[in-house]
This record gives sequence, C-alpha cells and structure tokens, in this order.
Amino acid sequence: MSKLSGKFEDTLLYIAEKVDDNKFLSSVKNTFTVFMPFIIVGSFATLFKSLISSKTTGLAKWIPALEKLAPAFTAINVATLGIMTIPVVFLIAMYLAKFNKVPEYITGIVAVAAYLSVVPQVVTVIIDKTTGTAAGVPSAALGAQGLFVGMIMAILVVQFFSMLMKIEKLKIKMPASVPSGIATSFNTLIPILITLTVTSVIGGLFFNTTGSYLNEWVYKVMQAPLEVIFQSPVGILAIVVISQLFWFLGIHGGLVISPIRNPLIAAAIAANIAAVGAGQTATQAVTYGFWLNFIVAGGAGMILSLILAIFFFSKRDDHRMIAKLGFFPSLCGISEPIVFGLPLVLNPTFAIPFIFNSAISCAIALFATNIGFMQCNTVDTPFGVPVIIGALIGHGWQGVVVQIICITVCVFTWMPFVLISNRQAKSQAQS
Amino acid sequence: MRIMLACCAGMSTSLVVSKMIEAAKAQGKDDYKIWAVDQTEIQPQLGEFDVLLLGPQVRHIQRKVRKIVGDDFPMDIIESVAYGTCNGAAVLKQAENLLGVK
Repeated sequence: MSKLSGKFEDTLLYIAEKVDDNKFLSSVKNTFTVFMPFIIVGSFATLFKSLISSKTTGLAKWIPALEKLAPAFTAINVATLGIMTIPVVFLIAMYLAKFNKVPEYITGIVAVAAYLSVVPQVVTVIIDKTTGTAAGVPSAALGAQGLFVGMIMAILVVQFFSMLMKIEKLKIKMPASVPSGIATSFNTLIPILITLTVTSVIGGLFFNTTGSYLNEWVYKVMQAPLEVIFQSPVGILAIVVISQLFWFLGIHGGLVISPIRNPLIAAAIAANIAAVGAGQTATQAVTYGFWLNFIVAGGAGMILSLILAIFFFSKRDDHRMIAKLGFFPSLCGISEPIVFGLPLVLNPTFAIPFIFNSAISCAIALFATNIGFMQCNTVDTPFGVPVIIGALIGHGWQGVVVQIICITVCVFTWMPFVLISNRQAKSQAQS
Repeated sequence: MRIMLACCAGMSTSLVVSKMIEAAKAQGKDDYKIWAVDQTEIQPQLGEFDVLLLGPQVRHIQRKVRKIVGDDFPMDIIESVAYGTCNGAAVLKQAENLLGVK
C-alpha cells in the first residue's frame, strides 16, 4: 500500500513539476496572474452600474442624473474584459520570448499584430434593415471568445519568430562602427516581415477555403466545447478533485490547474457580463467568484468547515490550537496553517474529506444555480475577501445562503473524521 | 541578513514573515530584512536576497528555482509543520542555519 501511494505521490509531483516547467503552460499561467486584476475591475464596473447608475437597483432611482454614468461603467467593461485577448496575447508572447531569449517587447507586439492579421477587418452592420459592412474589428475577436485562438497563435507565432530571429542569414550585416541598438532594430525587420506575411496569408487562405475566419473556427471547434465541458458538473467536479489531490500532497492545486482553469473562468465572467448587458440571463456558473465562494470557501478543501468541526467536536488540544491559529486566515481563504500545521498533507485520516469536500460544496452551489435559486454572477471578487462578504458581493444574498449551506454541510462531512482522529489520539495515549 | 520567502501569491507566506520579523526583533536582530513574494518574482529579485525559502506548497518548483538561483545558493523548503504553525523562530533558525549564522 505504501509503495503504491509512494508511486502515486511521485507521479503527481512529477506532473506538477512538468506543468510548472513547461514554458507554454507557464507563460499562460503567468499571463492570467498578471491580467486577473483587470478581470476583477471589469466585473466591478458591472457592480457600479447596478448600484449607482441603474434606475431599478441603484442610486439612480433617487438621483436620475446618475443614469448618465452608465456608459462610463460600460466603457470600463469594454476596456478590460471586452478586449482581453489583446493583452493576453501580448503577455503570453512576452513571457515566452523571455524563455526563448529573444527581445520581449518586440515579440509581444509581433504576436498582437499576427493575431490581428487573421481576424476580420470588417464588421457587419445593419442600418434601417439594410445589411452592410464597415471597417472595424469585431468584438468577438477582441474579447473572451478570442482567448483560445489568441493563446494558440501567440505560442505558434513566438516559436516561429524566435526561430527566425536565430537564423544568422536573416540578419542585415552592419559595419562594426554602427551602434548596436541600430543593428538590433534592423535585425528584427526581416523576421517580423516574414512572420506577419505568413500569418496573414494563412489567415486569408483559411477564410477563402472555409468561409469562416480562423478565430471564429477555433472558437467553434475548440473553445466552445471546452467551455461546455468546464461548465458541466462532471467537468468542473473532476477539475476540483484533481486540484485537491495535489493539495493532499501539499502542493498548491489551484496553481497546478490554473493554465486550463483561468482562461475558462475569464471567458465565463465575460460571457455573463455580455449576456446581462444584452438583457439576457447569465448562464456560465463557474467563474472565479464561484470558485472562491463555493469551491474553496475558507480555503481549498473547505478548511473553514474543518476548523468549525474541530471547535465543535474535537477534544484534541493540538488540533484545537492549530484551528485557533488558522481561523482568521481561513476566513480570507488561506488554508496553509491547517494544511501544513494539522497537518492534512499526506494524512490518511483526513484524506477523504480533504479531497472530496470542495467537490461536494461545488455540487451544492451548482444545484442551487440550476434550480434558479442563485444567479450566475457578473461580479468577481478578488482572493482574500472574507467569506460571506465575498459571496454577498459576487452572488447576492442568495450567494450568502448557499455559502452558509455549503460550509455547514461540510462541517458534517468533516465531523466523522475529526472524531476518528480523536479516537486515534486516545488509543495512542493509552498504548 | 536579507531573507526572502516565496510561495503562490505570497499571501499565506506573509503570515510566516510577520512571525519571523517578531522573532528576529525579540532576538535583537533589527537589521534583518524579511519579506514574501509570489514565486514568479524570484528571478526579478535575484541579488536582493541572501537566502531563499520556499513555501512547502510550491515544493514542486524546487528544481526550477535551483536553476535560477544557482547550485550553491542557500535555499530550502520551509519545514512544513513550522510553516503551518507559523513558528517564526523555527523558520528564522532554518534560514540562519542555511547561511551558517550563529
């Protein structure tokens, strides 16, 4: 048994290390870490809209002039979530350029230019029932629907561009007396020219043969199906359990799964805000706010529930001491004192609830969403906002109710294992 | 002595940092500088710290970080129980031992 679990541990450690080491996944991960504040700010603009400039739910009910602020708040939405593919492509390219040891800023711009070279340059407009076209990049290419094609393009373009940058023959020979800065700027010219020619020609050929643009096609065959899987109960519960398996080894599970999770939660909140903005109902349940409020409430593995279970049911002084120490951090979603102090890491007594409680809580919240009790959120809260408050901001009073139910249910799923650990300590003390 | 701790986002590690600063003050070591960063900040801050400690939850990045800081650089994973219990004095001792400070 111990041999088997040792092998299991080695395998997961190996996966975690490979995910972190992989330059593509690592670039994606770092990019979304940098961009996350903009996603949160963008979603907060939605909150301002409903609290300030809305005539039904906001201050504008009493001060009608405030309604005029609505376009300003919408502009924040557009400037952050509505164009997120552009900064994401730029950042991925920059991080990857660092790995490839080619100039970072130029590579970032090359990737953005290459991306824009394959998306439509015209938008369809309907005026007085006549359909026509106008110059412009469609919001589908700039916003969250472009994320996956953007990420793929950024990676391919940077790899291609880096290869070109390393071919000596493409470099323009300068006399030694020419300052090196000038030589560098000339030496990037030919690789940029080749890269953009290749991408725009491929994009053009793709459109001519298939009738749809590259970004639309990748969205349809790749991103949309991935979103469906991610938002489905089976998909999200599997991801949550995998994340907790890493935590069981003492490895930050959220960090390991973030390269796949973060693009999808970014797309989800953007889709929700767009839907509500268009007067429809938001349909993407799993967002960053959902993750924080209902999957890792009080810390990954529903640690606040464990702390409460220890307060209520445990007679072990060592556990009660750690629970006291971990209580306040846990309110803000920080679980490490308990995870490493109790410890939960590689602790067989608590393995089952530690691995599955987040999934149970997630299932409860999904159920509450599916029966229509709780709306899909349009406001994401940042990590570190205390429980209850986070749920209130993100999911309203219904969110608070659901979060309290989740935490309470998990107190009872932790309870039997807290009692077992008490019995273990007792029998140990006797022998 | 400049001690840098790294984990994911540097949040949970900052708990340990405040306890370490307390412990250092209590021992009269006022010249110690101790702070926590996100693990991606290790490379940019290279040269700013004398000893590096990684939170146990990012132990899978140890080999990568070893490559960044170099083979002989004093670096270690924080002992996990000391980390969990926020035992500032113990983690401080671990950092001092790495540097061979008495």
